[in-house]
Amino acid sequence: MPTKGSKVFDAIVVGTGAGGGTAMKILCQAGLQVCAVNSGPRIDPDVDYRGHRQVYDLKYRGYGDPVRLKGKAHQEPYSVEESEYSEGRDLFEHDVAYSNAPGTDWYWKRCKATGGKANFWGRSSARFGDIDFKAADLDGFGENWPVDYAEIAPWFSKAERYMGVASTIQNRPSNPDGEYLPPIPLRCIDYIIQKGSEKIGVPYLPDRCAQLTVAHNEHPACHYCGNCSRGCDVGSFFSPTWFTIPEAEATKNLTLLTNALVRSVLVDVNGRARGVAYVDRKSKREVEVYGKVVVLAASCVETAHIMLNSKSRHWPTGIANSSGELGKNLCEHLYGNPGYGYLPQLLGQPATPDNIADSTVAWMPRWQNVKNPHEEKFIRGYSVYMGGGCGDFPGYYGQLEGFGSKFKRDIKRYYPTTIGALIQAPTLPSPNNYVDIDPEKKDIFGIPQLRFHFQWGQNELLMWEHSKQVMIDLFKAMGGELWGAGEEPDRPGTSLHETGVCRFGNDPKRYVTNKWAQTHDVPNLYICDASIFPNCTDKTTTMPIVAFTMRTCDHMLDNFKKSVHVRA
Amino acid sequence: MGGQGVERREILRYIGIAAVAASFPGFSKWVFACPMDHPPSPAAPAPANSYQPLFFSAQQFRMVEHFAEMIIPEDDTPGARQAGVAEFIDFMVANRVPVSGSRDIRSTADAIAAGSELQTRFLAGLDWMNARSQSEFQKAFLDCTPDQQNSLVEELAYKTKFTPTTESGRAFFQLIRDYTVVGYYTTKIGLQSLGYPGLRQVWPKMPGCPHPDDPEHLKLREPSSSDSATQTHS
Repeated sequence: MPTKGSKVFDAIVVGTGAGGGTAMKILCQAGLQVCAVNSGPRIDPDVDYRGHRQVYDLKYRGYGDPVRLKGKAHQEPYSVEESEYSEGRDLFEHDVAYSNAPGTDWYWKRCKATGGKANFWGRSSARFGDIDFKAADLDGFGENWPVDYAEIAPWFSKAERYMGVASTIQNRPSNPDGEYLPPIPLRCIDYIIQKGSEKIGVPYLPDRCAQLTVAHNEHPACHYCGNCSRGCDVGSFFSPTWFTIPEAEATKNLTLLTNALVRSVLVDVNGRARGVAYVDRKSKREVEVYGKVVVLAASCVETAHIMLNSKSRHWPTGIANSSGELGKNLCEHLYGNPGYGYLPQLLGQPATPDNIADSTVAWMPRWQNVKNPHEEKFIRGYSVYMGGGCGDFPGYYGQLEGFGSKFKRDIKRYYPTTIGALIQAPTLPSPNNYVDIDPEKKDIFGIPQLRFHFQWGQNELLMWEHSKQVMIDLFKAMGGELWGAGEEPDRPGTSLHETGVCRFGNDPKRYVTNKWAQTHDVPNLYICDASIFPNCTDKTTTMPIVAFTMRTCDHMLDNFKKSVHVRA
Repeated sequence: MGGQGVERREILRYIGIAAVAASFPGFSKWVFACPMDHPPSPAAPAPANSYQPLFFSAQQFRMVEHFAEMIIPEDDTPGARQAGVAEFIDFMVANRVPVSGSRDIRSTADAIAAGSELQTRFLAGLDWMNARSQSEFQKAFLDCTPDQQNSLVEELAYKTKFTPTTESGRAFFQLIRDYTVVGYYTTKIGLQSLGYPGLRQVWPKMPGCPHPDDPEHLKLREPSSSDSATQTHS
């Protein structure tokens, strides 16, 4: 028998990341009594982040104890976000396993601590534009989004003003400009790449980077320790831990439950949401908590997982799934390294602080199919990030032959010179790419597991091949030497930019939610994560998640005013 | 320098972390071996040659230490020996920690398999080196002259000197070179030798490129080696 809560909240928010954190902050500040349900523990920046530790402070120099996950249900380590800096802390999901259908190799990286992946995100924050929202009009593939740029632009502005995004005004049709803090200055490698890019007709411009180049809304300016991707020790970039969670708590309207793994949305006799059921990870007991409105922001596919597992008399295939579209059209960014090498112009130069901002200082915003949607063999387009210069490890040493003093001098000589690329290419929605519930497997808490079905499509693979040729041309144009390229793209899931599975649209027969991210079937069930985005564009998802969440919450509060929803 | 205060606080942090790292015997050697910042206290000299290897025999450990110093020798900056690289390799191999190779690790069982293979490769590689030096110079590797040792390693390290019978030796050289490079450039000594800017933890702003008038960077002159030695110590 589940433990039943005694109180009814105005709103329950599942997840405290970019979307959930923003939702609970807005709802709490509007005076609602909010219960936020977080899957894992409360994060403590002093202990869980890197702080100013160096790699030599770590017992295994960053490689971690190879048997640290022994006995766990999901033993695969997560790249990038999970590291020895947080080893021994229970921040990442290793207790709940997932399945891959035959032929699928999805890499599902989950941070279950409060704030989620947004503790460690890459901070690139470009606006979507009508080239994305109305792509179907332009190239005839798929369908438009239910919103256009004019409608969303004010919400992007709100999100940017709140988060603080550094960039420049660029006047590019593929990338609408926003409201920006001063940009991160270009480095030697950036000037060289920019000149080379110009020669081949490719833009290379400051990225839109959610990093506080100046103090902003009482958050301090960046001090450039370079450890951002292991969490910021002072909150100089947007993260729920430093922004939304403390602001929600300051209202005293927030009840934050931790280590509470939501398994399903509860419904009343009319099939409306009346709360959620979660497993308390410590006691392994099932608990119910009730609210007038339920907001799911569990990070895209986990939102679909919860909904698919929310079966009832009213919703035999999962809550709000009368369209049958729940879990369908999983999209993702194809990531991969289309080229790496070095810039001989910089050989032997003294070390320069290229990575003290730990960010993509500049990037190549989408330039393909911009003037004409069918310029290329593929439709839509991709963007490319470039990185390099003096970093925390001379990973290029494998390119240098030999040993001894000459080898050691060469490592130093090449230190400022090496660069590499990262392609960010959107997959197109496909009926072959979706998630469902594994019919056989359950996790250690007895919850039916999520199963992935996903393959790269031809369109994104053509982009991948295209980007490799661009890198060959670029290295030639800038006088660099290309060492190589990744043989294959990274595994699906690597980018963390999954979208789809609860797509929004006007037709209740074909979309899970309406344009406000309110489910068509269950009016008091809202979604505040990237699962509503019909596709993933060439841009990242975090800033748009914040912007769309602000808009959804505004609509929801309006519905409270209009008595569509009634307070507890 | 703006980073000084933080640097001092970092020392306090090391002490906290030292408790975690206490079981890593190389710790004292590498974490406190930063002569420019913290001259070694005469009251507590680092005990040379007292290290008890966890995995290798004493003889094998001497070989690993010798190899590491051949790969990254002391010159205008300290070498592998001073950075405790052999202790690092011994610790990592004993704990089966792969630092190189492309094996896909998706479970603890994969990690253990990779680590066990690593241990075998190290032992077999050291044996191979001794067998090679016996057949070439009728002596164990460590008993060879420096010239002989160099010629034995050169035929594993340079493409132009490869021969068809040395594939296993080359694979071993690549392995120990990987561990040496990782072991060296993850110490403060190694990072200082590179001039790693992240050793400083507070910058008032990001400086950006100092040569915006030469965006293609065609006018830069590569410093001669004596210049670069000066740079390293600046």
